Amino acid sequence: MFSKGNGSHHIHKVRVWFMLILMNVVWIVPLNPGIVIASSISQTEAIALQPIIDQAQTGDVLVLAPGTYLGPVVIDKRLTIRGEGVVTLLNHSADSAIQINSNGVKLQEMNIQQDGDGESAAIVVRADQVTLEDLVIHTGGYGIILRGANGGVIRNNIIRWFIPKGQAPGTRGNGIDLYNSHGTKIMENEITYLRDGIYLENSRNTVVDQNKLYYLRYGIHCMYIDGSYVTNNIGEYNITGAMVMGVTNVVVSGNSFRKQNQNVHSQGILLYDVHTSSIVNNTVEGNRVGIYMEQSSDNDLRDNIILRNFIGVQFLGAEGNQFQSNGFIANVIEAEATDSKDNKMNGNFWDSFQGLDVTNVGTSDIPYAINPFYQQLISNNSAYQLFFQSPGMTFLSDMFTNGKEEWSTDHAPLMKLTTGAPAETASSYGIVMVVGWLLLFLSAVTIIYLGVLRI
Amino acid sequence: MTDMMQVARREIKMGFRNPWAYSFLALFCTFSLSLLVINSQNIVQGYSAITGSMLSLILYLLPLMTLFLGSFSLTSEKEEGSWQLLSTYPMGTMSFILGKYVGLSAVLLIIVAFGYGLMGFISGLIGINFDATTYFLFLVFSAGLVLLFLTIALFIGSLSRNRWQALTISVSVWFFLVIGWPTFLIAILGILPYLWIKPLLVVLTIMNPAELVRLFVVIKLGGGSVLGPEYYQWVEWIGRPAGSWLFIGVCLSWIIASILAVYWIWERGRSRG
Repeated sequence: MFSKGNGSHHIHKVRVWFMLILMNVVWIVPLNPGIVIASSISQTEAIALQPIIDQAQTGDVLVLAPGTYLGPVVIDKRLTIRGEGVVTLLNHSADSAIQINSNGVKLQEMNIQQDGDGESAAIVVRADQVTLEDLVIHTGGYGIILRGANGGVIRNNIIRWFIPKGQAPGTRGNGIDLYNSHGTKIMENEITYLRDGIYLENSRNTVVDQNKLYYLRYGIHCMYIDGSYVTNNIGEYNITGAMVMGVTNVVVSGNSFRKQNQNVHSQGILLYDVHTSSIVNNTVEGNRVGIYMEQSSDNDLRDNIILRNFIGVQFLGAEGNQFQSNGFIANVIEAEATDSKDNKMNGNFWDSFQGLDVTNVGTSDIPYAINPFYQQLISNNSAYQLFFQSPGMTFLSDMFTNGKEEWSTDHAPLMKLTTGAPAETASSYGIVMVVGWLLLFLSAVTIIYLGVLRI
Repeated sequence: MTDMMQVARREIKMGFRNPWAYSFLALFCTFSLSLLVINSQNIVQGYSAITGSMLSLILYLLPLMTLFLGSFSLTSEKEEGSWQLLSTYPMGTMSFILGKYVGLSAVLLIIVAFGYGLMGFISGLIGINFDATTYFLFLVFSAGLVLLFLTIALFIGSLSRNRWQALTISVSVWFFLVIGWPTFLIAILGILPYLWIKPLLVVLTIMNPAELVRLFVVIKLGGGSVLGPEYYQWVEWIGRPAGSWLFIGVCLSWIIASILAVYWIWERGRSRG
């Protein structure tokens, strides 16, 4: 956890020890559900951080002793500031707690509590090659803001929204907010309860990898970020998992967006005005809409698992997209397209379809046409959703096959799901066998004893 | 109480000497083995289209089986004159009805247990993986169907004069509740004002044991989201442990209400000779 300095001889170490003050320090206590009530602390007990920064030389490594420090601070020379033990920076002012104006600054292993809400942030970066690592940020407003800051690294931070003690809940900002900051790496952060988890605007070649995003408005919200990668992120209980807008050549892969269903506009992944991008290997489960695509063209959607969504995939004005070898499992409405043409929807796996593969090539020789009867029924009145896959409903929709040639059709559906399906665990099958044995034995004995024997 | 147990014991004995019971046992065993094969194609845990079609298959067979065995047992009492004989004994009608219900449910549950036992046993033997939660929920589903449809069977048996009548009514009731249900409801509710549809649908769903038990199992299998935003609160409620108690409560009130109604029919018939 505690990373040592880089071992270079030229670095002066400035150790700051304030042992006496330590005795009276009250720590921030993070509560589990995410919103934190910070214990208030009188300003006399905390050490002002700005004088310490002012005394340091460019290139210094400042190792802060355990304790509570007071912001706001402005860092305008190249410094590495690292907390040793539990280091907390409080900022009760309306300004941002830390402003970084010099290239190459590193901030590591600190707790930052930003009381201000609205536009104020815990950290504002206006310089290049800045590293922010292992920080725990509680903010009333924004978490980290990057403006015109290229090549930054934001790694392994925890960012949460909180209500400062004795204050009314403030206006939520975004967890990590980038504008005009190219080539930033945002990795392994955990962001909760804010407005947008990671907001990227006009920032090309950004990497957003392995972040965890819960209870936000949009988990990842990006606009004009050509050539960026959104990979392996996990999002749950957001209004929308990933909202990707106005981009070309973006890779969205390996993400898992689940349970985005609490809002009438919820979806797992939303693609608007997205072109020549690939959306591959994602899992969308239990969302209102799994993947929603509008005004987008020439994208490659492949190997995604679309599981238990209300609407699996929804296209609106989407043209020329490839939609192949995805797995559709237990979606109420599997796919819906409006004003969309030239999309290729072939070779997907549909769990509600029983195919027939005579030629043994792995795809069915019978095409799969999606029967819109049920969809039309529940669009008239959603109360009828109670009939989903009820035996009588199957019976009824099978009778309505009018205009079958106009239905959305997968001409060569897959027989088996080839991509990484959520595997079944073998842990419990011993129990089934034992219970099976017992049931079989007991029922046989009862039949013989009570029925067959003449006592 | 002893009267009731006597009737129940006699019912079980008669039940397992009835060739009908064994033909249903054989049918259900074949059926449970096919379910096992279908389930082995399932690629995800919890609710999917495969579990959905397994539930449908059970819904086709079990209610029909229950309605036949249950209603025939009551009509045969009338046809063979044993009820006329029993009426002369100092035995309460309630003991008779309850005994019939307990005995018949024992017979049917043993058939179901045998089928599922065979399924679990074979799955272990040939190494087909069967998820324990799904297995137990299917067991609960089948037992629930049997217990609820048995009360309907007692109704049919009480109102029919002979087996043929019982057979006809049973098949039509089964068709109405299992196959035709959505069609009838959509047709009828379509005429009513829009705002009435959802509450009426909920009430009618509780009245139909097939849908009631099916929806409970779908939600417990984690497929609640397929019911859509209209029912989120319900789904959340039933998903909790308290939801199971609510379900058991609804089933019990169902059973008690129907048994009281059947009792009233028989008591009326008894006093009027």
